[in-house]
Amino acid sequence: MIDLRTLSRRGFLNMSAAGAAALALPAGLFRAGTASAATLPAVAEEDAVIGFGHVGPITDEGWTWSHHQGLLAVKEAFPKLKKVIEVENVPYSADATRTYRQFVSEGANMIFDTSSTGDFLHEVVKRAPEVAFMECDGHQVMDNLGWYYLAHWYPTYVIGVAAGHLSKTGKLGYVASFPVASVFCSTNAFLMGARSVNPAATLQTIAINSWFDPQAATQAGTALIDNGCDFLFGIMDEAGYLQVAEQRGVWAAMWNTDIRRYGPNSYVSSVIIDFKKFYVDQVGKRLAGTWSPSETLLQMGSGVDRDVWGAKVPADVAKAADAVRDKIVGGWSPFTGEIKDSTGTVRIAKDQKMTDTELYTWDWSVEGVSGLTS
Amino acid sequence: MDLLTGLFSTAFLAGGVLALAALGEVLAERVGVVNLGAEGLMAMGAITAIATVTATPYPMLGFLAALAVGALFGMVFAAATVWLRANQVLCGLALTLMGTGLASTIGRSYSGMPARAVFERIEIPLLSQLPILGKALFSQNILVYLIYIILPIALHYLLFKTRHGLNLRAVGENPAAADAAGIPVNAIRFAYVTAGSALAAGAGAYLTLAFVPSWSDGVVAGRGWIAVALVIFAGYRPIPAVLSGLLFGLITALGFVGQARGWPVAPAVLSMLPYLGTIALIIVPVLAWQRMRRVMAAPAALGEPYFRDVR
Repeated sequence: MIDLRTLSRRGFLNMSAAGAAALALPAGLFRAGTASAATLPAVAEEDAVIGFGHVGPITDEGWTWSHHQGLLAVKEAFPKLKKVIEVENVPYSADATRTYRQFVSEGANMIFDTSSTGDFLHEVVKRAPEVAFMECDGHQVMDNLGWYYLAHWYPTYVIGVAAGHLSKTGKLGYVASFPVASVFCSTNAFLMGARSVNPAATLQTIAINSWFDPQAATQAGTALIDNGCDFLFGIMDEAGYLQVAEQRGVWAAMWNTDIRRYGPNSYVSSVIIDFKKFYVDQVGKRLAGTWSPSETLLQMGSGVDRDVWGAKVPADVAKAADAVRDKIVGGWSPFTGEIKDSTGTVRIAKDQKMTDTELYTWDWSVEGVSGLTS
Repeated sequence: MDLLTGLFSTAFLAGGVLALAALGEVLAERVGVVNLGAEGLMAMGAITAIATVTATPYPMLGFLAALAVGALFGMVFAAATVWLRANQVLCGLALTLMGTGLASTIGRSYSGMPARAVFERIEIPLLSQLPILGKALFSQNILVYLIYIILPIALHYLLFKTRHGLNLRAVGENPAAADAAGIPVNAIRFAYVTAGSALAAGAGAYLTLAFVPSWSDGVVAGRGWIAVALVIFAGYRPIPAVLSGLLFGLITALGFVGQARGWPVAPAVLSMLPYLGTIALIIVPVLAWQRMRRVMAAPAALGEPYFRDVR
């Protein structure tokens, strides 16, 4: 045995190398063994354990709250479930791996990661082939891992149409988090909607480097309004800039849930998300033994939508925006060429329709969006 | 509203959180106690204020209730660090963990509700007519005046112009000598750590009653730690502590205004500004003027529990 008290640097390196080899070997073996697995065996409801890992607190009135509503729907649909585990505030770090490993060791049959933890989750996925994993906003499919997300760009476009009608200055403001695909897609769809009404509209973004920082969002909202924006939109898990908009008398649209009580006069609408049906469906499939890893984008009308229009939104604006909504639900895509990027280069040729994958991985800004660079 | 007014207006509003928390920290550190519990105290203050205004529609009552809760937690912390002489760093971290945890537990029933009452703006006649600063500083809520004008001047006078202030600083510099001179070391430490904690909780109340008028889990977002850092930057003096809070608010606001105006600087760099600015402002004066090292020095007995029999 190696004596730890007199361990030399070389001894330590040898030991680590041996350890690494020991870890690598079984992982390689196991992957070859499970390559053919397509579905997982059925589980009786009384024996099933379902796990949910959230990025924030379930009281956030936003993203995590919506997923928690999905969990409650699952509990209601399957009242006999042995256990539903829920962990809040799972950080984007090795702690996430630990959390999901804990789910597995508690006997989870199905695990939802409601805010992509990427490789930290995949570590666990590879080692627990008997557990079904679903990663929200994931990008990878494995034998026992699928992903799901929302086609939020459609309701965002509809809200953009309303913004085009409501904004007097044509200057729209956006409180962004990070330059990631969800944000590019959201800003682009919003401005394209507004430009369909007012071709001179522009969108100014401010990135606050967080999904949740009421203080920064408040400051960002104030700076945008000071700079002439009279319609604020953003992708935040709280109501910071809506309260600013209410105070300063400009319009605002939100994300996640109906939070019009924070600014009843300013509230226009929200990108409303609803995972209830999807979660019940997925858990049902897992119990029946018919679950297989899938890639799901919840479409407008079934999982994501615009909210009931705000009290002060004129009826004709609501009607015009809803007409566009009906057109999209009917199969029309507003994301059809020609689309130029912010440098003026044509990125999508005339009449070419952007695919869902292209929209989901959008990483450039359309003409008229400023402040967001990848 | 023109550019500068908007900039200063948000700077005063945002910097107030840091300034008030930093003032509390100055008090504790001047008597030789490092209080790393600021983050937790702010969270407790924030939720206390919201809970109070939900029950009664008086924001001032919410602020006072937050001060009281802060003082209560401060007493527990002071009892542990001053009388029992427990490790200050560990106790401070424990206070932060406990405060944020407790606040988010209590906050469950209060999240998702806008504050029922907030501090309204009060325009000060004449002064609010001044260009730039008039709108930015003199048409704010009452807490802003308290934080930027009344408290720093009062504390500066107390610390540097009174006999009591001299005693207080002596306790932080050399408790043994102070003790020999007949100054009640532990009582003074206890009192000022408690008062400092109350101010930190007050900063939390300011946050939910004047700045972001609602409670949400994690609303403090690390500002307590920045306040602790600002005290070092301010050389443990109240007026510079408030100014550094304002400066921090100003640089943050500058980052947002820069993005809103589309300045050709990467947003990441603009977000870094407050931190780059802080580093520059700490390093440059110390390098430029040797004398600053003495002025900026920490109280000599900072972080050390005082044992009368070990001199």
